[in-house]
Amino acid sequence: MPAESTAPDPSLVRALEDIVGSRGVVASPEGRLTYECDMHTFYKGAPDVVVLPESAEQVAALVRLCRERGVPIVPRGSGTGLIGGAMAPRGGVMVSMTRMNRILEVDLPNRCATVQPGLINLWLSNATRPSGWFFAPDPSSQMVSSIGGNASTNAGGPHCLKYGITVNHVLGLQVVTGAGELVWLGGKVPERPGYDLTGVMVGAEGTLGLLTAVIVRLTHVPEAVRTLLASFASIEDASEAVSAIVAAGIIPAALEMIDDVMVRAIEEGVGAGYPKGAGAVLLIELDGPRAEIEAQSARVESLCWSHAALEVRVAADEAERALLWKGRKEAAGAVGRLTPNWLLQDAVVPRSRLPQIMREMQAIQQRHGLVLANVFHAGDGNLHPIICYDERNPGELERAKQVNEELLHACLALGGTVTGEHGVGLDKAKNLPHQFADADLNFMARLRRVFDPHGIMNPDKLLPSHPACGEGFRPARPELPRGAWV
Amino acid sequence: MSPPAAITRALEEIAGLGSVLTDPAALAAAAVDGVVPRWIVRPPAVEPVARVLALAAAESLAVSPRGAGTSLALGYPPRRLDLVLDLGRLDAVLDYVPEDMVASVQCGVSLDALAGRLGQHGQRLPLDPAPGGGRSVGGVLATAASGPLRLRYGTGRDLLLGVRFVQADGVTTWGGARVVKSVTGYDVPKLLVGSLGTLGILVEATVRLHPVPPAWGGWRWVFDAIPPAASFMAAVIDSPLQPERMVLLDVGAARAIGESGLSGRESAVAISVASAAEAVTAQREALMALAARHGGRVSEMGAGDWSRLSGALAGPIVIRLAGEPARLGPWLAALEHVARDGGIELVSVGEAGGGVLRAALRAPDGDGLPAAAWLAGAVSGLRAALAPEGGSLVVERAPRAVKDTVDVWGPIAPEPLAIMRRLKAEFDPAGILNPGRFVGGL
Repeated sequence: MPAESTAPDPSLVRALEDIVGSRGVVASPEGRLTYECDMHTFYKGAPDVVVLPESAEQVAALVRLCRERGVPIVPRGSGTGLIGGAMAPRGGVMVSMTRMNRILEVDLPNRCATVQPGLINLWLSNATRPSGWFFAPDPSSQMVSSIGGNASTNAGGPHCLKYGITVNHVLGLQVVTGAGELVWLGGKVPERPGYDLTGVMVGAEGTLGLLTAVIVRLTHVPEAVRTLLASFASIEDASEAVSAIVAAGIIPAALEMIDDVMVRAIEEGVGAGYPKGAGAVLLIELDGPRAEIEAQSARVESLCWSHAALEVRVAADEAERALLWKGRKEAAGAVGRLTPNWLLQDAVVPRSRLPQIMREMQAIQQRHGLVLANVFHAGDGNLHPIICYDERNPGELERAKQVNEELLHACLALGGTVTGEHGVGLDKAKNLPHQFADADLNFMARLRRVFDPHGIMNPDKLLPSHPACGEGFRPARPELPRGAWV
Repeated sequence: MSPPAAITRALEEIAGLGSVLTDPAALAAAAVDGVVPRWIVRPPAVEPVARVLALAAAESLAVSPRGAGTSLALGYPPRRLDLVLDLGRLDAVLDYVPEDMVASVQCGVSLDALAGRLGQHGQRLPLDPAPGGGRSVGGVLATAASGPLRLRYGTGRDLLLGVRFVQADGVTTWGGARVVKSVTGYDVPKLLVGSLGTLGILVEATVRLHPVPPAWGGWRWVFDAIPPAASFMAAVIDSPLQPERMVLLDVGAARAIGESGLSGRESAVAISVASAAEAVTAQREALMALAARHGGRVSEMGAGDWSRLSGALAGPIVIRLAGEPARLGPWLAALEHVARDGGIELVSVGEAGGGVLRAALRAPDGDGLPAAAWLAGAVSGLRAALAPEGGSLVVERAPRAVKDTVDVWGPIAPEPLAIMRRLKAEFDPAGILNPGRFVGGL
């Protein structure tokens, strides 16, 4: 969906410069081109102008300006999203949070920190880990992605199996709503009367407002961490082992599955010491009090053996643990060795349906003659099949898209969801009607309007567009008894 | 509006004969803060709930949902009330796959009944709000009620994955997902948890479950005063120990679970740990050492003691004070000071991590009701002290007469309240869902 970038309206640029200063405005065509897409490079649309505010007050002023002029606003953190979220399909003003990247306060007695939205995820943990605390959400992009972006997309990560996703770690937000209000929601005090507006704002992908500060919960660094690697002949065997671990009442910190295609790519790349030739590898991490980890680790090891593991290896030291994780975290980069082009799916199935969806995935890829590589969060059923294709071969892109859609529908048919952690963005908005009824979409469209009455906040994202601009999806009302009481 | 008899017939047609109560005794028993409804409807399924709401919208009837009926005292008196929607018959467990650790239930099911089903597979929904497991899942979610287990497992906000609800116009709506991880669309469940039935009536919930750990241990330590108890709690929080519960008890609460021989100035901390047996033992030893350093005197804390604590939080007046988690100790001291001044008996349980201090207040004589003037002064004094840190004080339970003189919710900051008002106006424009009972009179 390439959008023609238009020349910015000079009076708009001047008005924005009045708010953030001329150094905070990017209006040149080359400058704007840098912002035309996020990591989902299918979707390109450069903004008319980019602003880089330095304070919440500046953000509030520029939202009010855009509201008066009816100009769309697109927020952007580090631009590492995978959903076509931080791009401007209609042009307009992009608000980049990269200059608002400070830690405002660390409050260890209250287990929280207040940060600006542009702060890089890992920087917060780097700052607090020496005191024994860390920020638990760990999307694979955490070295570069921003906490504001994590909160806006409600990002997950391998360790959210045990620790929960970003929303479970956000206590409060300072936001500028689409209506132009600068407001604190929630705060250090976790319990408060009223609607949970913080919870609604997290994961809203900038469609309700812009985040200008985030109060996040910090988690105590566990006493012990143990990482195990188990290899299996097939992905079905590995899936059975996953089920057995969970059935034993053990919730690992992370439980990741890597299939044979992916193992090969990783080994040819970073060389993480994964056994080549295995049909599937499980990366299992346990953390917590040392005695608990020792008991659970022994149990997990024996469950893997009793579910036909070919090999079970426990990372002997921190260096080996880091190496095992290096393979997982750099999987996306390793895909480049497999294929020139790829699509990434993020659907979820109930964990008990993993073996079934794996069989269906095999059938789909065979039907379309494309290779799929898998590296995913097995513990919570969050799939990440990587659909390999070569755009130089006529028709392959279309087939890849077809595989993508069929996979999504297979997951939904098993009771799953469209996106587990990446978000909706522009990419998946069209898929929501497959998961939600008109009544559900109508409710969400009205919720959006409450926060953004003029429809300027990140338009076209998160919800499917409708000819009647959100007035659609009109649900049928139940029938009343006819004439029974008159 | 149609004549009452016609509405009764229409409700009977929707919900079935015998599912609509209009006899005066039943209606009086279903009164909310003394406001007596004209109908009680007990729908047998979701579809009739939707049709009742559609009828209520057409006839402009004010509706109050009711689960187990244990927490109807929460909130302002209703501005008006025509129909009590009793969801007690919606008590089915709809879908439970133990392997997924997810259950979908109808909202009228009680915590105890659900626990019975889940326990067969070694799992549980770790919500333990007062006064106990008789509460309905829907009621617990609608009131955002939680208990000491929130330290480890969070609250309904963390555990509710998906929700089916009926909007004010009778449209049945779904929000969220049936899997443990989803970011598809807005997090509608978050909006509904704690909304007290003012945006929609919860009818089905999909919740995340946790395993019941294989071993368990519980202890309590008595300290000479609040400060050493509070610093012991801070030391536990700032350690790699992972208790599932940790509460700060005043003398009244400690006595309620059998501590005797207390002079009145002490305070106690109760902790439970759930994990592998070896880990329970190891954590016990670490806790003992830590508590000894702060001068704590230990006794065992049986499983029954935890429900006794919940039960002890009963009284004519129950308040919930919420402040910064690290300031639980100072807030208990402030509360004790206020109670002592007024000659009021206090039972107070403070939840570590959540910063919530719940207290039952009772006057030593008569009907146990503290004097209205004292209560109003105590509430406004504590609220003023809590305000700088963004804290709040909610009177969770009080007789109607008290509610007429004390603001039970307290003030909400004007900016968030403006958004809340717009949400209410959007989703219940005619104001028929629990009108007047929620914060800001929503």
